Amino acid sequence: MAVVVVPTVLAAEAGGQKRFELEAETLGEALRALPIADLLFDERGELRRLLNVYVDGTDARGSGGLDGPLRPRAEVRVVGAIAGG
Amino acid sequence: MGVLIPVGTRKGLFLLRSGDRERWELDGPLLPGWSVYHAIVDPRDGVLYACTNSFFYGATVHRSNDLGETWERAEELGLPEESGLALAATWHLEPGRAREPDTLWLGGDPAVLFRSDDGSATWEVNRGLLEHPTRERWQPGAGGLCCHSIQLVDGRMYAAISAAGSFRSEDDGATWTPINAGVAADFLPEKYPEVGQCVHKLLSHPAREGRLWQQNHCGVYRSDDHGDTWERLDGNGLPSDFGFGLALDPADPDVAYVIPEQSAEHRYTADGRLGVYRTGDAGASWELAADGLPERAWVAVLREGFAFDEDGLYFGTQSGSVWASRRDDGAWTEAARDLPPVLSVEVAEWP
Repeated sequence: MAVVVVPTVLAAEAGGQKRFELEAETLGEALRALPIADLLFDERGELRRLLNVYVDGTDARGSGGLDGPLRPRAEVRVVGAIAGG
Repeated sequence: MGVLIPVGTRKGLFLLRSGDRERWELDGPLLPGWSVYHAIVDPRDGVLYACTNSFFYGATVHRSNDLGETWERAEELGLPEESGLALAATWHLEPGRAREPDTLWLGGDPAVLFRSDDGSATWEVNRGLLEHPTRERWQPGAGGLCCHSIQLVDGRMYAAISAAGSFRSEDDGATWTPINAGVAADFLPEKYPEVGQCVHKLLSHPAREGRLWQQNHCGVYRSDDHGDTWERLDGNGLPSDFGFGLALDPADPDVAYVIPEQSAEHRYTADGRLGVYRTGDAGASWELAADGLPERAWVAVLREGFAFDEDGLYFGTQSGSVWASRRDDGAWTEAARDLPPVLSVEVAEWP
């Protein structure tokens, strides 16, 4: 069972839920199971450019990516890149 | 009957309500975290829709059946893989005709038009524009390659895209004819091309068959033949040919309003004042209609930032003010100030 934590805007889109506990073999499987998956991935299935995903504190882009296996009780955090205005 | 103004801003949606168009109540921000490029209240059923965009989460549409208490998001909205394109932004929502109560149209970037027949849950891209034979000659403007104007008039549809120009369909969107004859494109090597014009806003008059108005990057124009030909009107007393917003009078097809900016290079109000200009003779002459507006101002009003109804005019500025005027006396009052940069203003009845 992994835990996925999402930012406030995504929690609002998910009826106020910020933490999701779910069974998933890989990081991509966990993210795609979320009710707000369409906001994480574009129509090609690519993770949106300005989103970072950390698994147990490590940036997933540098360590296995979406296909990387997810250990039981892993904590996944979705964080927007530093951008805006 | 009161009035409700949905105000789309860079940082969420605000609702302004008034019973007398003098005292205003402000609600919001709704949809915090989203840039609201355009929001409407569908006059057919009172449902609130918003074009919502985010640096992080992409482009979508939100729908509320209870004026913002609760929201649903579009479930299917994107471009087909074989197009090689990806949806960059949602720009404009247009309710379908009265005989199609569940139909909505959506304009977006990159120059795409969508149709929904289920109240915005799912959207189907319009192939006629997506695969238009002139598409390779279209270029994005500063706001992207955006389809920002959609007009449904009797059996015709119009769509306007920056910078592709204006298009007309007489078969419910299956095919589209460019209607840019006589409209300048001073930024291109060929000044009067078939397509590539930077139209900023296109409106059709609801009561005059064939009459269209457009505020363009290169001039203000009127057509009386469904866009087949255009007459340029900005030499007739306007301080500048450049601007974005456009408003009409539903009761008088010869009346139009623009808010000129200094120039394409200097995008703030012309002559250092916030000036709305009105024509009452189909563009033959224009006069300042700015009673109550700041006489020293360097602000900007974006393409979706100007709205009208039978009783008044409404616009919002990039500096966060919303101004309203009543047609009976023409005086402007500041309905709200210090909002985030205003991207869109619309108007609806407040039940």
